[in-house]
Amino acid sequence: MSPARVPSPPTPARTARQLREATGAARGRRRSEGDLNPLRQGLRLERVPDPCAFVLFGATGDLAHRKVIPAIYQLWRTNLLPAEFSLVAVARRPYSDEAFVAEARDSVAKYSRVLPIDEAAWAELAKRITYQQLDFGDDPGFDRLAKRLDELDTQRGSAGNRLFYLATQPSQVTEIVQQLGRAGLDHELRGGGWRRVVIEKPFGRDYESARHLNHELAKVLRESQVYRIDHYLGKETVRNLLVFRFGNGIFEPVWNRSYVDHVQITVAESIGVENRGSFYEETGASRDILQNHLLQLLTLVAMEPPSSFQADALRDQKLQVLRAIAAPDLEQVRRNVVRGQYGPGWVEGEAVAGYRQEPEVDPESETETYVAGCFQIDDWRWSGVPFYLRAGKRLPKRATEIAIQFKEVPLRLFRESTGDPAPNVLAMRIQPDEGIMLRFAAKVPGLGLDVRTVNMDFGYDTSFAVDSPDAYETLILDALLGDASLFTRADEVEAAWSVVTPIDAAWASMPAPHFPDYAAGTWGPEAADELIERDGRRWRRI
Amino acid sequence: MAKNLKVPAAAKAVAAAGASGRAATAAVASRLPVVHSVPEIERQLGMLWARVEAARAETERTKEALAEGHGRAATHLSAARAAAALAAHEPSGAGERHVVARSSVLNLVVVARHHETAERCAATIVHTAGRRPSRSLILLAMDPDGPPGLEARIDALALSAATGRAETGAETIHVTARGETGMHLASIIVPLLVHDLPVALWWPDDPQFSSRRAERLAPLADRLIVDGSSWSGNGIDRLAALADLAHSRQLFVADFALLRQARWREALASVYDLPDLRPHLRAVRSIAVEYAAAQEGDPAGLTNVVRPIYHVAWLASRLGMSVVSPLQGAPGGRRVATLRQREHRVDVELRPAGSELGEGSTVRVEIVSRLRGAELVGDVTAGDRTVEVAVRDKGRERVRRTYLAPKLRDVDLLERAVEDSATHPVAVETLAMAGRLIRAEEAPRGPGQGREGGGRD
Repeated sequence: MSPARVPSPPTPARTARQLREATGAARGRRRSEGDLNPLRQGLRLERVPDPCAFVLFGATGDLAHRKVIPAIYQLWRTNLLPAEFSLVAVARRPYSDEAFVAEARDSVAKYSRVLPIDEAAWAELAKRITYQQLDFGDDPGFDRLAKRLDELDTQRGSAGNRLFYLATQPSQVTEIVQQLGRAGLDHELRGGGWRRVVIEKPFGRDYESARHLNHELAKVLRESQVYRIDHYLGKETVRNLLVFRFGNGIFEPVWNRSYVDHVQITVAESIGVENRGSFYEETGASRDILQNHLLQLLTLVAMEPPSSFQADALRDQKLQVLRAIAAPDLEQVRRNVVRGQYGPGWVEGEAVAGYRQEPEVDPESETETYVAGCFQIDDWRWSGVPFYLRAGKRLPKRATEIAIQFKEVPLRLFRESTGDPAPNVLAMRIQPDEGIMLRFAAKVPGLGLDVRTVNMDFGYDTSFAVDSPDAYETLILDALLGDASLFTRADEVEAAWSVVTPIDAAWASMPAPHFPDYAAGTWGPEAADELIERDGRRWRRI
Repeated sequence: MAKNLKVPAAAKAVAAAGASGRAATAAVASRLPVVHSVPEIERQLGMLWARVEAARAETERTKEALAEGHGRAATHLSAARAAAALAAHEPSGAGERHVVARSSVLNLVVVARHHETAERCAATIVHTAGRRPSRSLILLAMDPDGPPGLEARIDALALSAATGRAETGAETIHVTARGETGMHLASIIVPLLVHDLPVALWWPDDPQFSSRRAERLAPLADRLIVDGSSWSGNGIDRLAALADLAHSRQLFVADFALLRQARWREALASVYDLPDLRPHLRAVRSIAVEYAAAQEGDPAGLTNVVRPIYHVAWLASRLGMSVVSPLQGAPGGRRVATLRQREHRVDVELRPAGSELGEGSTVRVEIVSRLRGAELVGDVTAGDRTVEVAVRDKGRERVRRTYLAPKLRDVDLLERAVEDSATHPVAVETLAMAGRLIRAEEAPRGPGQGREGGGRD
């Protein structure tokens, strides 16, 4: 039945990394022979991280315990970290090694995505964890840290390689980086190993502060040493977006203004501000989601194919997209951007408070918990195609989705049909239920010519025999491997702020908004519907 | 005929999630009556999916009842069940509806020799169906001298993602062929395949690769799934025949015996992960594999050595070695071979050893390399749940690490077998190298005669 087949075509790339490695191989850019371990071909990782010390600042904080430590445990448990690995936990509070390890274990037992905890794996990892009390302004403390890391190089064989992960308050980033520089911990030649610094968002709160932060980082570190983490970029579906676009030939010809009517990107959260009221008061939806997650997703949808999947080639293309979005003036903000704030309502069957009633929130707060906007990308591919972006808290459900709506057919041939076929939609669900859906028209069986719209669904859950890793696992492993392609570069951050800062500035100059303007558990303010409906379109029901 | 067919509503199919909390789940939803011909099987399959559509329509009506606030309808469903049922059928826009998900990704054909094997394979398929919904045909040829005929029944599988959102279906067709019918399995298989889907032929027990049955079944398949570690005897002849078949038919092979060794390969690769040790990969002088023997010293040479051979074949193919002299018997139940890497000789030894591990299991792999007079010894041993790696560099211990690596279950192995592992160049080249390694041990073969004999069809 089947014709003769020729074994061993290269396995199709499934991830951005695989695609990048395949591309690199095809272009003859293989690493030198000495860099590669041929026994790793076909294994889960064709490269493994070098021996290293992982220095976790803010180790007693929420982010460290909820995300970073469980991700490290998971990487260790699945043998993706080198044996010569050390975790040096750094924070201000006094702890013994044993006390910190006990707390870390509790966090792993609570937050790890694979439970129950594997005691044998944890015991091995726990041997590699030490705690260092350190006030970030304490010069001698950083000198002691440097000495401790040197000792670990000898004891553990970490070979002078260090990853500094700053899971701290944003205000502490500059101080810590300066201290790393003062203590010589940044210097890659000092111990013969590499030095990398991972920092968490927000990367500034506007264009100027972002530039200032980048400037301060650049005083100590080369850009190639800085890994700005946006965990959305580590999500499997986001990474698959690259494979979907550049690993499939059939979509590229229609991925442009000739065929695409518009694009919708939604980041909906059903939760409120939880215990982050004071943080959110300073941030709002535009800074918290629009400036990073939404614009990053937009760049991945809109970017031109990179010449390779090397980090800078990828980021260059994303940057071009951001630079093609004109900074909106006051009138454009008034017309094309909507903000909102939730009042009391019902979410998932429970009554919830309004934003102004949340802890640590000003009862007269003007902070937006919802933002929607229509953006234009002024380039050859996308000119005239609106990108509708929306994000909000206390919406009816948690859902992140990118939807490409294609133009209608030029001529409706099926006039006797009882219903007009809806335009084709390609929707990529990022969370939950990661997958891809294609909507198309089909004839209803029968003697007439009834046309209905049907969905063809691809779900990760039902298609692959492996679980998706957590975004932090992906990104931490990439940082350890020195792969920065899923991290944001300084100029990208500044370009994104150059879109968002004029919006925040325009709002500040406008009269006070009439907040709250949407009930918790609804899809945002009416103005958001008007924003898209005036163009003859509507938000997707998600 | 299909009167008692009950295709489950989504709520029924939403079973407990897997360990990860994300896995799709599968359940045998319905068992159709036994039929006796291929056309009857085809008719049942057609009706099966029509019934799924009917069941979905019924769920739509339930949804409408709930939407209209009919309290009685709501009281018959718990909130969670109702949510799951509705989520599975939630239209995503006005005028839209979900199509019934005919979501098979594979035709999986099992050729079993024993009833117990067929049942074991069926159980494994149910567990993998959530991830790889397939049309599965389980064929059992029995009573070759009896009257011809077949019995068939279909199990409908209901699959539901843990989220309760996507409901899909798959089916397993059990066929028992008797008498002469059992000699023409290919004629049963072809009409029952879902067109345009890849075909995996799973041949458990002792397959007869040189038989006429193999000649007829192999062209149907895109890949062949076997378990070399379960073969009777030492497995060498059968492994040679498998390598021949893969080469002559250009057939991808997924061997559970090779897939099981993934944990070993990870551990062996890790010996050379430190950059300064990597040059030793070009200077290997000896490879020794110890395996658990049936008897001390394995005097009769009857222990299955497929897994030890795969270890050597994998290393040799990855490290650019060629065969100088193939495996041959040596005193003490050993088998030895000579390979060449660049300009130097590599000694290979398979050694039987006493062990509590299952017969034929690898106990230890030792690789010795010598570079500019400095000797590096990589020593990997394994237990049920762990693999231990020790590296000695110039007599000094450089690395000692315990990897947590539990043995894979049949469900894991089948999932990997139908993924891309069989088509990966590493698998293809390892099998080819295994064939070259054992050429000298092949039994002589008469013209047109299978080495394993007995194969009909």
